[in-house]
Amino acid sequence: MLQTAFNGLITGVIMTLPALAVTLLFGVLKFPNFAIGAMMTVAAYMTFALNAQLGWPLLLATFVSAVAFGGICIVIDALTFRPLRERGAITLMVASLGLGFILENIARFIYGNAARSFAIEIARPFRILDIRMNREQMITLGVSFLAMVLMYLLLTRTPIGRAMRAVADNPQLALVRGIESPRIIRWTWFITGMLLAAGGVLIGMDRALEPLMGSNYVVAVFAAAILGGLGSPLGAFAGAMLIGIVGELSTLVIPPNYRIGIPLVVIAVILIFRPQGLFGQPHIRK
Amino acid sequence: MRTFTRRRMLKTVAAAAAGPLGFPFLNLAHAQAAPIPIGVAVPLTGNAGPYGPDMAEAAKRTAAKINGAGGILGGRRLELFIEDSESSAAVAANLTQKFINVYKCQSCVGYWGTPEGMSSRPIVVQNKVVLMVSSAANAITEGDTQGYVWRFQMKATDWGIVIGRAAAGMKFKTVGILGLQNAFVLPIMKVFEERMKGVGVQVVDSLIYNPEQPSYRAEVERVFGKKPDAVFCFGLLPDFVSIMREVHRGGFDSKVIALSIMADAEGKFVQAVGPQVAEGIRHFQPMPDVAASGYKKFVQMMGAPPDRVFLFPPNTHDQVSITALAMERAKSPMAVDWSKQIITVGNGPGQEVDDVVEALKLVREGKPVNFQGAGSTCDFTPNGDQLGRGMGQWIIKGGKSVFVEYAKP
Amino acid sequence: MISFLVLLAIVVCFSAILALALNFQWGLGGMVNFGLAGFYTLGAYACALLILKGGANTFVATLGAMAIVAAVSALVALVTLRVAEEDYFAIVTLGVGEMLRLASLNEDWLTKGALGLAGIPRPLSDVVPAEMYSYFLLGLSVAILLGTLWVLKVLARSPFGRIVRAVREDDLVAATLGKNVLWARVRIFAIGGAFIGLAGALHAFYYQYIDPTQFTNIVIAYAFMAVIAGGRGAHRGTIWGAAVVMVLLEGSRFLKDVIPALNSDQLAAIRIIIIGVGLILLLIFRPQGFLREHRLQVDLGDAATIQR
Repeated sequence: MLQTAFNGLITGVIMTLPALAVTLLFGVLKFPNFAIGAMMTVAAYMTFALNAQLGWPLLLATFVSAVAFGGICIVIDALTFRPLRERGAITLMVASLGLGFILENIARFIYGNAARSFAIEIARPFRILDIRMNREQMITLGVSFLAMVLMYLLLTRTPIGRAMRAVADNPQLALVRGIESPRIIRWTWFITGMLLAAGGVLIGMDRALEPLMGSNYVVAVFAAAILGGLGSPLGAFAGAMLIGIVGELSTLVIPPNYRIGIPLVVIAVILIFRPQGLFGQPHIRK
Repeated sequence: MRTFTRRRMLKTVAAAAAGPLGFPFLNLAHAQAAPIPIGVAVPLTGNAGPYGPDMAEAAKRTAAKINGAGGILGGRRLELFIEDSESSAAVAANLTQKFINVYKCQSCVGYWGTPEGMSSRPIVVQNKVVLMVSSAANAITEGDTQGYVWRFQMKATDWGIVIGRAAAGMKFKTVGILGLQNAFVLPIMKVFEERMKGVGVQVVDSLIYNPEQPSYRAEVERVFGKKPDAVFCFGLLPDFVSIMREVHRGGFDSKVIALSIMADAEGKFVQAVGPQVAEGIRHFQPMPDVAASGYKKFVQMMGAPPDRVFLFPPNTHDQVSITALAMERAKSPMAVDWSKQIITVGNGPGQEVDDVVEALKLVREGKPVNFQGAGSTCDFTPNGDQLGRGMGQWIIKGGKSVFVEYAKP
Repeated sequence: MISFLVLLAIVVCFSAILALALNFQWGLGGMVNFGLAGFYTLGAYACALLILKGGANTFVATLGAMAIVAAVSALVALVTLRVAEEDYFAIVTLGVGEMLRLASLNEDWLTKGALGLAGIPRPLSDVVPAEMYSYFLLGLSVAILLGTLWVLKVLARSPFGRIVRAVREDDLVAATLGKNVLWARVRIFAIGGAFIGLAGALHAFYYQYIDPTQFTNIVIAYAFMAVIAGGRGAHRGTIWGAAVVMVLLEGSRFLKDVIPALNSDQLAAIRIIIIGVGLILLLIFRPQGFLREHRLQVDLGDAATIQR
């Protein structure tokens, strides 16, 4: 029971970074980006290339590929989403679907379908209070908490962060106040890219690298972000934790092969009874 | 591999060009009777991708051998149409349609996986064409196949029997079972579980999981967490890689027993998880009797070192051989006629021959033969299941699979 | 070769019906269905099970499949009534689709799980001679496709169709105009669902064997591509779109012969990359597709349908 809850915590922590990315992007650009799964996959393979193929230490490889992928996201936005920005959420959403297929298959084209692993030793666990934990899980916890704190500081303490929040709240007003929104959007993509890259590496460490590694998480990550009210970093974190823990604990009562369905049930229930999410503010449409 | 692709392209182009004109166009080129088309659907990609190329090569070399000795039915050559089934049911069904309708094949061989076989079965029965598969799920030959579906592989339930017997010999007191939601895995699981209970071994849990899950933590926790002496995993390579990483990091000590398509897969498993995680895993797979002279001749034909173990290509060799022999015996290229001769040439009674050219000679002389294939003795039940194939057992030591034993059901 | 083209044409037919259904839901009604693969699975399984377990004939089973998918679609639209925003709705359909696919894999007492359902009989296969059957099936598929086209066209031109488009352009305006937006949304989604079910039934008849691996999410990409290529909202354009997508897909298999250095995994990847790139390029450069939405000219006076 306790072990299962801890496992759920880990699953939740893994989802925190992509959920933060979804939240941030949705806040500023107002559309759900379904390509996040494939984005994580590509970033993870980039890290794999530096780490396993060029022999760099994983930490350095992750940092370099996160920065690089942040840049790639800015390019992707310029090529794909910027020309469509004025066409509404549906068009952007369909474009993100297409983008996801492209990115996932670039990874498949280069690395094939076989599962791969980072060049790190898989360690045996240690025990605290009779709960089995291992080094990678500690790293995952550390990285996610760090990212959360940084995000919080970024959004509340830096001019860029404040500008992002302003754009998220009211783009027109932000424009009037002299906030240059293209620059903010570039920053948003850069940070999203870094978050997704780190998330991809954590997923790769947890399981293995294969072309579907990121897409498998998409539904759960969206559930977490919606649960958190799309727009608040703390909400995304709490949402991810809840989805992770509830999903894992559910295996005590339902067959585990339906576990993937738990996020769906959560989404449906929230959207029906509390559309603004658990932590979101109710808002008036249009 | 590459040369085969190019050659097949030429054939495809030739066939397409000749299509509207009919096959006489090709006859002129060869100044011979029309060749006999055989469709070969092998997995060049998808989860069985590692196995396809050698299966295709085996089919090609077998056909070349038969053609080199003058072909069948009075000098007609075998012409192979080799295509990629992509390990997918829909692709295989399309291929089978194409083999039958475009290339006019009366024999479709290869068909590594259960989905490929299952999706093609109704098509061949309807068109009265023979389908020869290498897949294991019982359902493929169940029910009325009208004698058109033949399995060149051990039936899944027989896998369960052999693995169950080996497990009983390992003296475990408690075991767990972890199986992929998959057509060929489920019958193995069921029989294996029955066998374990039959010999008084306690089955602590028997759990089915889905492919392509984000993680397998919950499944591993549930089965390995009960600390059985051993856990038997039946699935495919990608899920097994994730499961074993989880098992290792979870610090579980149960022995792990799996199938070779998961724990070996031509070395891909050890490559993915590293030798440390793979250490001590035992794995099973139906295999040819490597001591049989039919198999030795096959390895020679393939130009491989004598100790090389081919799991599936010998089946493709046998499929092409049995097609040729049955056609020769029936004196007809039509499956309606020769499908009835498959048992006659495979089971005998007659002279035991393990060389297809020799066997063809005897058949032409009107003598009864009992063909002994490379992958098995090629004996069948009336419903198309193969008898006389056994299973190998290996254990991974220092990153290498070491052969343990060979056993028949 | 001829018979192979016939088979390809049948595949184009049921892809086109699927694309028409999506076009109705998304192109006309503005309701994004990302659970398409799941609803398609439901249609195929419902049809097959009604025949194999329910003892229905192929005609009744096809109608049954349409009714079941329509009912489930209506339910989804009803339950998400409060979720008026398209993006949330898309996420819900994504989840529902995933659940339907999970159920087809795991409820083996009903669907036989991964083993799939084999031996699905085809319409009138006992009457039509076997060697003629593929031509018959093609004729039938074309007839059903034309029927679908006709029904959806009539619906689009009817007063109901005008509400549908009004909802797409701006449901707030439509609501203000007094149209019952919620009810219209439920009907749009259910009617689209019925035709997804029809496409699923044809899929089952064509392959005569269905298993969960045939219904991957890539189906969604193909259908969206077909709708976008054909012009969102345009019916005939959608059929051309579906035909172009299927021919591109099948045609790209021959790439293997041109570039022998590629293995089939890579080819499959390239195929999907092409689809994805095409989708985005079309969205950017030809958002109206190759054929424009019917009657858009005529409707210019209608305030609700003017494009921004």
